[in-house]
Amino acid sequence: MSLNLIALTAALSAFLGIWWGHVGVRVIERHSPRLWPAVLLTLLLGLALELWAATTDNKHIAVAAGIIGVTLLWDAFELVRQENRVKHGHAPANPDNPRHARILKAHSSATTLDLLDREPVGRRVNAEEAVRLVTTGEEAS
Amino acid sequence: MNGFGLAIGLATFLIIGLGFVWVIRGERYFGFLWWPYVMGLGVFVILGSLFFASDWLAALGGAIGASLVWGATELKEQAIRAELGWFPFKAKKIEPPFADKIRTWKAPHL
Repeated sequence: MSLNLIALTAALSAFLGIWWGHVGVRVIERHSPRLWPAVLLTLLLGLALELWAATTDNKHIAVAAGIIGVTLLWDAFELVRQENRVKHGHAPANPDNPRHARILKAHSSATTLDLLDREPVGRRVNAEEAVRLVTTGEEAS
Repeated sequence: MNGFGLAIGLATFLIIGLGFVWVIRGERYFGFLWWPYVMGLGVFVILGSLFFASDWLAALGGAIGASLVWGATELKEQAIRAELGWFPFKAKKIEPPFADKIRTWKAPHL
């Protein structure tokens, strides 16, 4: 019985598409002074890959392009959602980015701290302790 | 025109979308300590999919397995989001076998 390597192509495409998308969205949103060129480029890349998937005769390329294309289309949407996370303090703002500097001024909830950069403690955490946990690593007594 | 890649892409979109739902719900009721089991299941599904004769089933299985592996790496951050009140928090979790051992391992995150 031969192995169907389409499964591996799909798995690698999905995993790498999600991983790079996840990291890429955070990095690009953090450093881009203007967001819309990145959103537009990601959309166009995603559509181009879907077009490639629809026109190639190679099944491996069709699967890889179809999956990575769709993750890029999702990433375009995620770039906008990531900016909203920064406004809400759910993702750290970059004060060196003028767009983020404006967000920090306009939204009191925005912060430069990454409140997720710690280990879980297994209970609800209030705003003060959330900051303490990522700055000093100290839990409330 | 070849609809295979497009259809698998669309199905993967739905699988990833479902991933958000099960990561949120799964962490709430079971906790992030299940991550090694979820990751193992993902790898098992990917390896099992290699034996499907149908390209459709093989591709879908591969995408589902990869989504499980990714979800396993997302559980720890989801636990912290719930602790911060960004998602509903449930203190009593259904813990996995060997929870104390798993607690000593560093949960992966992408």
